[in-house]
Amino acid sequence: MLEPVKYVGGVYKHNHLVELVEDLGGYILQKNVMQTEVVLLMLVPINDMPVVEAKAKELLGKLTRAPLTGTEIATVAPTLAYHHLPHLDCDVAEFLRQHGAKTNMVGLARGVGKRICQITAYERDLINEHDLAVFILGNYEHCIIEKSKRLYEGIEIPIVVTGAPELKTEDVPNATAYVGNFGRILHHMRHSEELRTLDKLAEVIGKVLDNVRVELAKDPPSVAPPRIKKEIEEQIPDIINSLHPLPIALQMNGARVKLPYEEYHEQIENIKFVEGVTMKEVARVLPSKMRNFILIKALPKSETGFVI
Amino acid sequence: MEQLETFVVESPDTVGAKSTRILIQDTLADLSLNRVIGRLKVFVDPVQPVFIFTAILRLGTPSVKVKDFAKVDFVIGKEEVKIELQRETYAVKLLNKLWERYGKENIEQPDRKVIIVKTDPVKEVDALNELVIDEPQQEVLDRLIDAIALRIIPEGFRVRKHELSTSHVLFVASEDTLKPEWIAKAKDMLESMRFENSGEEENA
Repeated sequence: MLEPVKYVGGVYKHNHLVELVEDLGGYILQKNVMQTEVVLLMLVPINDMPVVEAKAKELLGKLTRAPLTGTEIATVAPTLAYHHLPHLDCDVAEFLRQHGAKTNMVGLARGVGKRICQITAYERDLINEHDLAVFILGNYEHCIIEKSKRLYEGIEIPIVVTGAPELKTEDVPNATAYVGNFGRILHHMRHSEELRTLDKLAEVIGKVLDNVRVELAKDPPSVAPPRIKKEIEEQIPDIINSLHPLPIALQMNGARVKLPYEEYHEQIENIKFVEGVTMKEVARVLPSKMRNFILIKALPKSETGFVI
Repeated sequence: MEQLETFVVESPDTVGAKSTRILIQDTLADLSLNRVIGRLKVFVDPVQPVFIFTAILRLGTPSVKVKDFAKVDFVIGKEEVKIELQRETYAVKLLNKLWERYGKENIEQPDRKVIIVKTDPVKEVDALNELVIDEPQQEVLDRLIDAIALRIIPEGFRVRKHELSTSHVLFVASEDTLKPEWIAKAKDMLESMRFENSGEEENA
């Protein structure tokens, strides 16, 4: 069992921690160096946590649990107009990012209104590539309920809805969870009660994702997503040249690789694992709806009959 | 009339009304429109659905013309007009306007407060006197429309009717066809504000 954690500390000697985690069989998912500070998102074997904690303490860094690590979340706004951006959407996306998730912002083309809102097939497919979607809606109870009846049609991933009124999740049709106290906010969320609201959102999303993990564990993926990432990094050197932020974005049962599909999908399909299997035997390598990226979805154990 | 002496947001949805109020405050502050609005009444009913925005404005100075800050004169014996500035505040804006109108080669500025325009004086002196240099009111109204139409009114409410003058503004918006009673209600709201006693404090 791997524990998702975030380390914030100085650049000096941080490679000691990186090496320790790798030696313990954990994974470094993301490393951001900002001048003299470094932020590491990593998965650490739960039994070895005390060792890592001791090392972090020795380096005068801070280690916190980041339950959203290794997930890709779509924050969806009805449109990309002043009504939603920059404040609320960016605040939510950035906050979830701080908790370890990779967030992508999606603005719908015709998502406005309670009667006239629509979602296109492309938008739906794009959102379905994520682990979870956060729909950021507005101020009025009636509108949120009416809109929820039709806007999420065809979306198969868990849906978390935000809005101003305090509603029960049962009252919001098709939503997996609802978080109140948001609404259409046109200022930067920085007051303490607003930050508490954001904390609540992260907590709710964490719970929803934990439930997904439990479901996933019943029929686990044949290959763990961090393993996919590690093998790609080792066997496809061109990934270093990808200038996208996070060239390999992890998902709960797969990964998004930011390389062109046409050129690289065969190379990725033929990646060899030391256990003697190739990538195409344990995962589906698909073209992503996002640009011409590659989407890898691990096959469940029930299909392959083994877990590596 | 003081700034925002009346600020009422009415709605059957109380939580919605509260957040709409904060939203309007944020927008007005962002676009520095607080001083422009004297009284403001908003009615929202998401069930109908309708959004009514009415406000009494207190705009600043009207447009500034050249004659307000300068003396425009003939220059005897020459095909020139001399503009003598009394205040330098608008000098830059005036020069830009003149360059645009007569071309840079026809404008000279021998002194800080003197501008010479090479043109036919008989035709141009009156026109120069009336040349509008700055339109603070128009600029404020543009910002106000930006605030109301593009930021405050919910995006889905695409059927709209508006009235805009230098003294008031009225917006009725909905997702469906507008009903005459909504427009009548908007006009009533506006009238009720017009006849409010100035100095009377009222808050939502």
